[in-house]
Amino acid sequence: MAEIDRPASRIDPKLLEMLVCPLTKTTLDYDPERQELVSRAARLAYPIRDGIPIMLPEEARPIEEP
Amino acid sequence: MTERPRLFDKPALDRARARALAAAAPGADFLLARVGEDLVDRLSTVNRRFERALEIGSPTPALAASLVAAGRVGRVDRLDRLPQALGSGGIAGDPEALPLAEASVDLVVSALALQWVDDLPGALVQIRRALAPDGLFLAALIGGATLGELRTALTTAESELTGGASPRVFPFLDVRDGGALLQRAGFALPVADTETITVRYADLFALMRDLRAMGATNVLAARSRRPLPRAVLVRAAEIYAERFADPDGRIRARFEIVSLSGWAPSETQQKPLRPGSARASLADAVRQAGRSPQEG
Repeated sequence: MAEIDRPASRIDPKLLEMLVCPLTKTTLDYDPERQELVSRAARLAYPIRDGIPIMLPEEARPIEEP
Repeated sequence: MTERPRLFDKPALDRARARALAAAAPGADFLLARVGEDLVDRLSTVNRRFERALEIGSPTPALAASLVAAGRVGRVDRLDRLPQALGSGGIAGDPEALPLAEASVDLVVSALALQWVDDLPGALVQIRRALAPDGLFLAALIGGATLGELRTALTTAESELTGGASPRVFPFLDVRDGGALLQRAGFALPVADTETITVRYADLFALMRDLRAMGATNVLAARSRRPLPRAVLVRAAEIYAERFADPDGRIRARFEIVSLSGWAPSETQQKPLRPGSARASLADAVRQAGRSPQEG
């Protein structure tokens, strides 16, 4: 269901440039497929909902791979 | 991360603010509107343009819009813990874990939000790091003298009727700490000042309705989970009216607004001279100043 609702990468590239992981302050990898911003250092994926990056650690998805 | 004792219950704060946002009671933003105007005024006295700005924690886009309208700011991004406060764009985030790259903005503005952080010194350090050299931080926070009357009325009523009291109004920043906090966070030219706004209400219940509409209900982690008994509220309203009413019977509520400003250090900024580096004698200057009225 989310496939249809999900807007194609509406996140502003200028906004992306400003963002870092709130915990480690390291750069983030943008995953347009999953609409996530991935912090390798914190092993967290921050969701992007309706074009708004949710940069709250308690909302992030823990990821397995280093 | 190390666990520290928490002053505020963040989920409760989020819920209180979300309820207030959803209700959008007309006029509930009077303090915010007033403070926002003041921030825009302060910015207009600074003779430079800020290309990239961040606005932290106001529930509507009004402040960001007036910053842009004032003509000194290029782009404003908004940051708030609640995505619904951001509407169509912005960053959902917490000033205590600021997701901003180093030196990524030229201006950070915040109105009536930073009183709700547990670790204000930590938030200030993160804001300073997010600012480019010679970037400006301008904020207004709820200060320590705020709602002193309500605090007295509630505490007195609760201890009279229940033999004990739990914190109902949270501790706010003391303006005397403001300048030192800015300095510790590494800001240059730190300034802290304070202004008191007195608002009059029909009674304590009208005041508390307004506080709820602002999302400013009790969110202390150490708060009593039991709601205030009706009898305590009624007694508190009597005490409030006895001690803090005007001759016409309306009660007074004080809101203290603490304004903070500081600059991210830069080589180009004015700095105090090194002691001993003066080239003119102060004594000569005083002598000359003392002479000039007679001669002129």
